[in-house]
Amino acid sequence: MGHRWAFFLAFLLPCRALLAQGGCTLVLQGRVLDEHDRTPLAFADVVVPELHRSVQADDQGRFSLPGLCPGTYTLKVAHLDCTPVERTVQLDKDRTIELFLEHHAAELQEIEVARKRPDEHVGQAHAEIDREAMEAGAGRSLTEMLARVPGVTSLSSGPTIAKPMIHGLYGNRILTLNQGIRQEDQQWGNEHAPSLDPFSSDRITVVKGAASVQYGADAIGGVVITEPVELPRGPGLSGEVRGVGILNGRGGGTNAMLQGGVKGLTGFGWRVQGSGRYLGDSFAPHYILSNTGLREAGASASAGWHGRRMSAQVYYSWFGRKMGILKASHIGNLTDLRNAIASGRPWYVAPFTDSIGPPSQTVRHDLVRAEAAYRVSDLDQLVFTYGYQANSRQEYDLRRGGRSGTPALDLFLRTHTGDLVLKHFIGTKLHGRVGVSGSHQENYNVPGTGVRPLIPDYTEESGGVFVLEHLPVGKRLELEAGARYEATDLRVRRFDDANIYRTPEHRFSNHALTAGASWTVRDSLQLRTSIASAYRPPNVSELYSEGLHHGTATIELGDPTLGSERSLKGTFDLEGQWLHGRLYGALTVYGDRIDHYIYLRPDGYALTIRGAFPVFRYVATDAWLHGADLTLEYRLNGTWSLRDRSSIVRGRDRVRDEWLFLMPADRTENALVYRRPTLGAWRQLEVTLASTYILEQTRIPIGLDFAPPPGAYHLVGLGVSLVRPLKHGELRIGLQGNNLFNTAYRDYLDRFRYYADARGADLDLRVAYRFGKKD
Amino acid sequence: MNAMKTALLLLLAASAITGCKKDDETPATPAPVNENEVLTTLRITFVDQGSGPVKVWEFRDVDGDGGAPPTITADTLLTNAAYHASLLLLNESVSPVDTASHEVWDENTLHQFFYQVNGANIAFTYADADDNGHPVGLTTDVSTTDPSTGTVKVTLRHEPDKGAPGVAAGNITNAGGSTDLEVTFPAVVH
Repeated sequence: MGHRWAFFLAFLLPCRALLAQGGCTLVLQGRVLDEHDRTPLAFADVVVPELHRSVQADDQGRFSLPGLCPGTYTLKVAHLDCTPVERTVQLDKDRTIELFLEHHAAELQEIEVARKRPDEHVGQAHAEIDREAMEAGAGRSLTEMLARVPGVTSLSSGPTIAKPMIHGLYGNRILTLNQGIRQEDQQWGNEHAPSLDPFSSDRITVVKGAASVQYGADAIGGVVITEPVELPRGPGLSGEVRGVGILNGRGGGTNAMLQGGVKGLTGFGWRVQGSGRYLGDSFAPHYILSNTGLREAGASASAGWHGRRMSAQVYYSWFGRKMGILKASHIGNLTDLRNAIASGRPWYVAPFTDSIGPPSQTVRHDLVRAEAAYRVSDLDQLVFTYGYQANSRQEYDLRRGGRSGTPALDLFLRTHTGDLVLKHFIGTKLHGRVGVSGSHQENYNVPGTGVRPLIPDYTEESGGVFVLEHLPVGKRLELEAGARYEATDLRVRRFDDANIYRTPEHRFSNHALTAGASWTVRDSLQLRTSIASAYRPPNVSELYSEGLHHGTATIELGDPTLGSERSLKGTFDLEGQWLHGRLYGALTVYGDRIDHYIYLRPDGYALTIRGAFPVFRYVATDAWLHGADLTLEYRLNGTWSLRDRSSIVRGRDRVRDEWLFLMPADRTENALVYRRPTLGAWRQLEVTLASTYILEQTRIPIGLDFAPPPGAYHLVGLGVSLVRPLKHGELRIGLQGNNLFNTAYRDYLDRFRYYADARGADLDLRVAYRFGKKD
Repeated sequence: MNAMKTALLLLLAASAITGCKKDDETPATPAPVNENEVLTTLRITFVDQGSGPVKVWEFRDVDGDGGAPPTITADTLLTNAAYHASLLLLNESVSPVDTASHEVWDENTLHQFFYQVNGANIAFTYADADDNGHPVGLTTDVSTTDPSTGTVKVTLRHEPDKGAPGVAAGNITNAGGSTDLEVTFPAVVH
């Protein structure tokens, strides 16, 4: 780590502004703004045809044309989502002007301004985790950050493993886009957390609707997008260094980012970033959760060039994780599981340690992304994106005869993806994207485990075509419609239970349609609605699982005859301000009909030498999910406000007329927030006292679980954050306390609730220093 | 706008994307995995300390978890007899057959067998000790009294708390740990 710091510091020194020289010395500067609401339009192109000069606005819409002679100039201003405008400017002294463009996407979704993909979520309910919110989650996993969004919950396996759940769906029904590339990291496993470093991005978007048209298979429940980073386009260095200390687990994390451009090479930008986390055993209120330590490291580097017509960007990231799995969750058979549930305490508790023993997991994920864009005409752009991912996963179990050091599961997954998209206008209003995408994936079981593989080796290839068009109607309404067709080939290589080599093949072809509308009723009230279909070919684990699942002491059997899941999800989203801006509210209501919903269902018992095990088979049924997410914030006066975030989900099995297993319980978070813009030399003071109440899940299917759902629980948290502006940057400090009363509880969505309580009281202290150009 | 040109470009790219796949070499055929940790057979051999015949109890499940159900056989023990019993664990799914009880003995401080008798007049007493002097249960002294029928549940615990109350005497209640093996034999004393 020492070398890395020295490396960053070396870059801090030669930072100097660029000065314009020459006979003509006038400066024309200005901002490109949205005509309707004056939001800045990032990266708009400003062209002076007389001089054959062009400049690109920064991410705040600012541009500067130095070294001009007095005279009259034409300014042509173009932005990705706007009709270009021309304006004549008389220049006899330095001038600052404002240029207005009619921006379609911005008028619909201010959240999407300054996006490369400003038109992707029309009609879809979505939420964003910006840099500030991410900072508040520093030292936490991606899932923990996402779980602040109403409608997003966390499906966990003890304190170290958490997967995002959107509107009651998880695993292969949630698509994760890492820098815009479909993340392929064995996400079928409930104890396989996403292998990516959230700080490799500045912004995470959660789409809470079906989005197969935009993103392809698996986006049934929703999409988690770590947005591609926006590289700087001019000279100047900026960066950030962040550190967080975490009491529960006695560890912490660090993150550092540096970005800049190159003098004299306009449009070129680069960025490097690295982060790490280190945690020992977590504490539950009454005991230590032994073997729940974690080490994580990530690094990424990207460079890009942005020209008038062409742009290109390359990105590489590396992510590594080693984590302990609660040792008391290792059980031998159903008797052990029943004993664990009956005793109410973990069978293994040892003094605190930060070392990790079996059972444990190690993961390494490498991602290479290359993107090239070519502006075919003023409005049409062709974008090619290629992604390569390599995911290596080892799972270590408690084994006899000195085999604990040999992984019981050793998988290597390699994926190539390619997309070619034409962003186009048809006429002046109708615009959208049409494209093709393909992927090639190989899964290998690395030999030497001495255990029959849980999932077989396979090759999967898929190809698809899609079109998605937007039509602005007037200034306040935008319509969206799209379609995708995709075919997937799956070729499996496996040995059956009689050790005969089999190579079954499957082909799945699917289509998805979407239609949406976004209506800005007035400046402070927006309605979005969409109805979209989505699909998911069965995962190889659902087709060919065969064997004992240690974490739950069940024998899981796949069914090779399963077909694709198909979903039709409708969402209605309302967001607005009332009472002269004092009340902010956002409501999402949805219904999701899933045909051929695949899940595990008990099918008797198998007697083995280790005792009896329940047998679970993958079966398909038809499901219906619906629910609502609500956010309300009421400003009591200039400093105090009240905030509520609540969500409910209901899931029914339509065939058996029973509840679905593992649906989130109703939850509500209520907070009292105190904000002060200034406090002495400090800025943006925010104090949040939050109460989180999770109800008991009473809507459960009979006979699918080993223990009744745990009771309701209530947690109290306190957060304080403030900013200190400095000469060349700013210092940001935050303190976050969770579960302040050290309440012992278990959560229904924690798969280790059979074995131990969840984490107890926790306190995080974080410090961040940002420097360079503000954004 | 020249839609034809664009369509052509897209088509070209589509064939490039799909064409790439063909270049990949045919993936290697995986090798079958011989499970090296599976237990297929538990055999307890009862040697009469007098002059009676040798009795055998056996649980056998050669195809491992799932598949064909296991076979369980248990010879009738004689009344008022004293046996010296030894337990053998085998993995018969590999060749040569692997004697897994050696591994248990190699890690004797981490393992302990428990014999839970229900209904039958049989008593098991540990006749071995691990490196710390705690029982392991690979060998036991078995005594019988009056004619009776019932069951004997044999359990192997991994990482039990061998110092917990009653554990050294064979009481599983406080043992903890995780179960490596659990087999129930029908027991007849006649």
